[in-house]
Amino acid sequence: MELTDAALVARVLVDDDQHAFGELVRRQQSSVRGLLRQLTRGDLALADDLAQDAFVRAYKNIRGFRGEAKFSTWLYRIAYNCFREDARRRKELVGINEEQWQAKQDPQTVDAGLRHDLMHALSLLPLHERSAILLCCQNGLSHDEAARVLDIPLGTVKTNVLRGREKLKKTLAAWAQ
Amino acid sequence: MNEQTEHDWLDRKLQEAVPYIEDDGFTARVLRQLPAPQRGGRFLRPLILVGMSALASSLTYVLSDGGRFILVEMFKLTTIPTLWVVAFALASGMLVMAGGIFAAMSKTSQIQY
Repeated sequence: MELTDAALVARVLVDDDQHAFGELVRRQQSSVRGLLRQLTRGDLALADDLAQDAFVRAYKNIRGFRGEAKFSTWLYRIAYNCFREDARRRKELVGINEEQWQAKQDPQTVDAGLRHDLMHALSLLPLHERSAILLCCQNGLSHDEAARVLDIPLGTVKTNVLRGREKLKKTLAAWAQ
Repeated sequence: MNEQTEHDWLDRKLQEAVPYIEDDGFTARVLRQLPAPQRGGRFLRPLILVGMSALASSLTYVLSDGGRFILVEMFKLTTIPTLWVVAFALASGMLVMAGGIFAAMSKTSQIQY
């Protein structure tokens, strides 16, 4: 029988069991790396470095996981903090503002293929809207969980999701027909 | 397309847009970066606790003239009226129950997330 995430966490806590932590990494690596790839706008190497950093931090601070949230939610929060710290270092946290977003709406820059268009549209969103969309719409977190991951008020998450969705729908209007 | 259908469509496409990422040695790289497990510390803590308890017990035994005060107090307990003992048991039970209810209520408010 497959152990639950909570049981694996307990093994790490009690026995310092690195095999159990390895299993947790195997289970969560795809979603964490996927989230970071999109936050970094497709920079695969940077995303994987940040993901590694996030998992190592999670291991070192696993005693801070109180089991009140899902392990994956706790992990997303660490990953997001890693991304934010790195972005601050690189001074890229400001993201793309509204005017830049509007300017990049030139349809000629959008290649064929819904997936490509979607990723392109997503990458043009400001960071706060992109993060909210990725967590809530792509990774299936509730607004409340996303608020905890992003460390912002619940109402702000709802607004960011709403605005992000509207922009994506506008960009992808032709595909939704 | 109505608004809810549009939302569902967008969410589905967003989920489909990110395929499963193969591990390709990622987990192994993470495990290599982890600090070495503290095997020594695992046994050290219970050892310290047992040692300190044994030391405290020995000191108490020696300083209290072979635990004579326990015998004296035990004798005093036998002279307490039965009604007092029942009242004390009842009060203790209620106190423990109140503590349990308080702990359960505070835990429930924490778990609501």
